[in-house]
Amino acid sequence: MSTPIIKTEGLTKKFGPFTALNGIDLEIHKGEIHALLGDNGAGKSTLIKILSGVHEPTSGTIYVEGKASTFRSPRDAAIAGIGTVYQDLAVNPLMSVTRNFFMGRELTTGPKPFGAMRMDEMDQITHDEMVKIGIDISDPSQAVGTMSGGQRQTLAIARAIYFGAKVLILDEPTSALGQKQQMEVLKTMMRVRQRGDIAIIFITHNEVHSKLVADRFTFLALGEVIGSGTKAELAGEDIRHLMAGGIELADLAGELAAI
Amino acid sequence: MAAQDTSAERSESDRLQKGGLFAQLKRRPEMGSFLVMLFVIVAIAFASNGNAFNALGLKNNISIISQFGIIATGACLLMIAGDFDLSIGSMIGFAGMSMAMMLKWGLPFGLGEATPFMAFIVTLMMTLALGWLIGTIIVRSRLSSFIVTLAFLFFLRGLTEVCYRLINQSTQISGLPNFRETSWFADLMGGEVFTWFFDIWYSLGGNINRAGNQWVTGFDARFMWWILIVALAYYILSRSQAGNWIFATGDNAESARANGVPVNKVRISLFMFTAFCATLFAACQVYDTNTADAAKGNLKELEAIAIAVVGGTLMTGGFGSVIGVVFGAVTFGLVANAVFFIPAIDGSYYRVFVGVVLLTAVFLNESVRKRITGGL
Repeated sequence: MSTPIIKTEGLTKKFGPFTALNGIDLEIHKGEIHALLGDNGAGKSTLIKILSGVHEPTSGTIYVEGKASTFRSPRDAAIAGIGTVYQDLAVNPLMSVTRNFFMGRELTTGPKPFGAMRMDEMDQITHDEMVKIGIDISDPSQAVGTMSGGQRQTLAIARAIYFGAKVLILDEPTSALGQKQQMEVLKTMMRVRQRGDIAIIFITHNEVHSKLVADRFTFLALGEVIGSGTKAELAGEDIRHLMAGGIELADLAGELAAI
Repeated sequence: MAAQDTSAERSESDRLQKGGLFAQLKRRPEMGSFLVMLFVIVAIAFASNGNAFNALGLKNNISIISQFGIIATGACLLMIAGDFDLSIGSMIGFAGMSMAMMLKWGLPFGLGEATPFMAFIVTLMMTLALGWLIGTIIVRSRLSSFIVTLAFLFFLRGLTEVCYRLINQSTQISGLPNFRETSWFADLMGGEVFTWFFDIWYSLGGNINRAGNQWVTGFDARFMWWILIVALAYYILSRSQAGNWIFATGDNAESARANGVPVNKVRISLFMFTAFCATLFAACQVYDTNTADAAKGNLKELEAIAIAVVGGTLMTGGFGSVIGVVFGAVTFGLVANAVFFIPAIDGSYYRVFVGVVLLTAVFLNESVRKRITGGL
């Protein structure tokens, strides 16, 4: 097996007396979708914030392609090739698709920041990059507000990849979307996986979605890894069991019946 | 199944109809203000028997339109970035006071006589510093720009009056020499431009006064400055990288910041730009009339905002157009001046008109916003 693109060893994060993460070991491989599952408060958010450079770990090490790395800011993480697509997506609804795609990184002729934007070239790149992961927008000058939630996710993903992300962290990309749009996003993820050079960390609550696309699973509960493995290693029932943080569904059914 | 096949072919992006030319024009932010402007031009032309657009009428109308246009362009860019500047009017008074005072009493700290150019440069340095200060306070404190610039509205107006009384013993300065004759700079600010326009008009048989000579010789210089400001603002907003940053800042500052847009610098720069526009407004006024007084620029900040809104700029930021503001300035200038050409009407109808048009514009802008974002 090749060296994982990202590997963490004993990642621990404490906020004062509160231990948010307690010794997380994780391996992320190129061309794979790695589902990170867990209930609210399991530590998923803290983990991705450490990986994307928002927080620094209290102890433990992150290896990027085998080399120990420290991220002091989101910028450091971005330079290391880690792109995060947050739930709120970081897109601006009133601006055009192209203007959103290149926001903050416009192609210009002439000195910054008053150089003229090369609009035609930017339109072309935006269109091509969106087609690559499955959306053919007819008019890149249309406002992002006219796009569906799924298409906005795709835009944010395409943008992260174009600007050099080797690891994509998708923070609950399918929540807050309709059924059809969820499928759109899952298709987008599979197309990115197809490229083979990008790893995806897929944070989700949704067991069905994770089973559809993920190659590898890690389950978190109360700040610790309670189970992990490849798709082949895990039986279907295990996933549901681990998702709930180890509580048997049968127990739940019993409790509900008792009310 | 046939039904499924069609749904697979229809992609989400096709749900937004591109429509014909007319449908696309309707989505432009400047469309509403263009129609209002056309209506006002026609109505005033009829009501004044064409007097509003004879040689002198045109010159005078363009003069006030340019005044409105200069400050409204600054207000428009700032509003697109999501902020307001209520200190524009007081800044005009302050800048006018500063320039006239230096011309009369010399440069500060006993640096000797002030040329019109030096008076302008020193004043501009002060107003840009004030713009920077206002922007920095707003960015650092995270207070709303409304309240901070409201404070500067009072502060600067009061400071202007105090300076007048302390140094000049009167809140007016008049009787300055006509600097346009001696200074190229004063002529550039307060002289005449585009004289060829009226020369051609005269040679074509119009533009004649009662004595049979050429009547009007040129536009006020502020017309040229307005055109330059509009060209500059249009380029920056629509074509340059900085323009994308302005839109991004006003639309959703958090996502702009997450994508590497220097949001704070954009906002501070735009407060400096409105201060620059106010200073230019004041310079044109001072060197045109060779007078200044403490009340100059009163209420201009609200007119600038009103014109920007009528020009299609969204109150909430993220959307607007410099060209729309041009149409808005023409509309406001014509109506503000209408009383001179249509003696029968009461001049206060101007404010009635502003109120009605402003309210209409806000509703119109909201519907345009819904249209471009597909009803979200």
